[in-house]
Amino acid sequence: MQCADSLRVQAYFDGEVDAVSALDIERHIEHCAECRALLLDLERTREQIRGEFDYGRAPAALRARITRALAREPQPAASRRGSAASALWRMRPFWAGAVGGVGTALAAVLAFLLVSAVPSAALRDEVTDAHVRALMSGHLTDVVSTDQHTVKPWFAGRADVSPAVADFAAQGYVLIGGRADYIDRQRAAVLVYRHGAHIVDVFAWAAGGHALAAATTRTGYHLVSWRVGDLEYCAVSDAGWEELAALERLLRERATLDTAH
Amino acid sequence: MLPYLDAAYRFARWLTRSSPDADDLVQESFLRAFRGFDGLRGGDVKAWLLTIVRNCHASTLRQQQRRATVPLPEELEEAAPEGVVATVPEPESASLAAEGERTLARLLARLPQEHREVLMLREIEDMSYREIAAVTGVAIGTVMSRLARARAALRARYLESDAGEPRAVR
Repeated sequence: MQCADSLRVQAYFDGEVDAVSALDIERHIEHCAECRALLLDLERTREQIRGEFDYGRAPAALRARITRALAREPQPAASRRGSAASALWRMRPFWAGAVGGVGTALAAVLAFLLVSAVPSAALRDEVTDAHVRALMSGHLTDVVSTDQHTVKPWFAGRADVSPAVADFAAQGYVLIGGRADYIDRQRAAVLVYRHGAHIVDVFAWAAGGHALAAATTRTGYHLVSWRVGDLEYCAVSDAGWEELAALERLLRERATLDTAH
Repeated sequence: MLPYLDAAYRFARWLTRSSPDADDLVQESFLRAFRGFDGLRGGDVKAWLLTIVRNCHASTLRQQQRRATVPLPEELEEAAPEGVVATVPEPESASLAAEGERTLARLLARLPQEHREVLMLREIEDMSYREIAAVTGVAIGTVMSRLARARAALRARYLESDAGEPRAVR
């Protein structure tokens, strides 16, 4: 007979429960010998699989074959944002690196990427400068709060837009406040996040004639930008690409929820 | 998408249990992803891509089943004469390193596909229940119970194989 809590213990082991449930389960484990044994078994099984598994990488020949096949594909419509094409587009730096060495394919892919949006270098510089200036002056936030319900209303009257605001502390992105800035000749809203040792500024302004490249670099800072509805968002930081992409995902989800209500 | 090529390939290897088939499956999946047949909802590219790999594999299987005269791979294996190579003991150096992995690979391969794939996605690809549910197209509760059964089955078989095969003195 299996303990009725075995699935909860497994969820705890897999890191799928919140802190309150975790405490509850830990208390249960103290009293239940069966679940203690289960936890030990789960750990052993994981060690065995992860320790002995052959993490085979895709053969180079396959990589080349796929790169060639994709280069032969007709270009997907660049206007379909949120589609596979724009997923590729957002991944540009990895993508460009991965196809390096396959000359023609690289040229074809880059040509497609470069024409599908007209990135504005001036806008890129403007956003990066604003980020650096805020870091230098130590004036990161005009409103200090981890509460989205404080930060979002604060923008009213101080910025021209009302972006999606949320704290993602559980995912490692702590909202530390908001700031008003001046981007693309308008009052932009800036969300300020702390991610480990990094500060991430997320600028939001009304999308206009200029678009930013989905992923770009300026003087060592990474910029990831995206558009939801008529709002242009751009996250700037010295954090890695993956980390910026993860924050983009979280904010996109939030923005989609916001517009759905 | 290409950053997830290794993950797609690993997953395809486990689904097809053969490298050439995995190559074809991965290429077909990337083309489908690129053409946007299966639109990307939400933001998780890896889960989206693995879902496409899994769907492609399922449709290939259906096509093969329609060609009823083609013998199953297992039958082919049985019909083939015993290979000479198999009876020759392997050099010690190679066999020791590979022993653990081969045992595990063999045990994993014997699990039913729905068990194998949840284990793969959880332990190797480190995906959350929600992502696994998206890839396999079942409810999160089903993911949890399958995962529990798969782990229990693997554990039981591991113990069995440990007891059944005499081990070298360490």
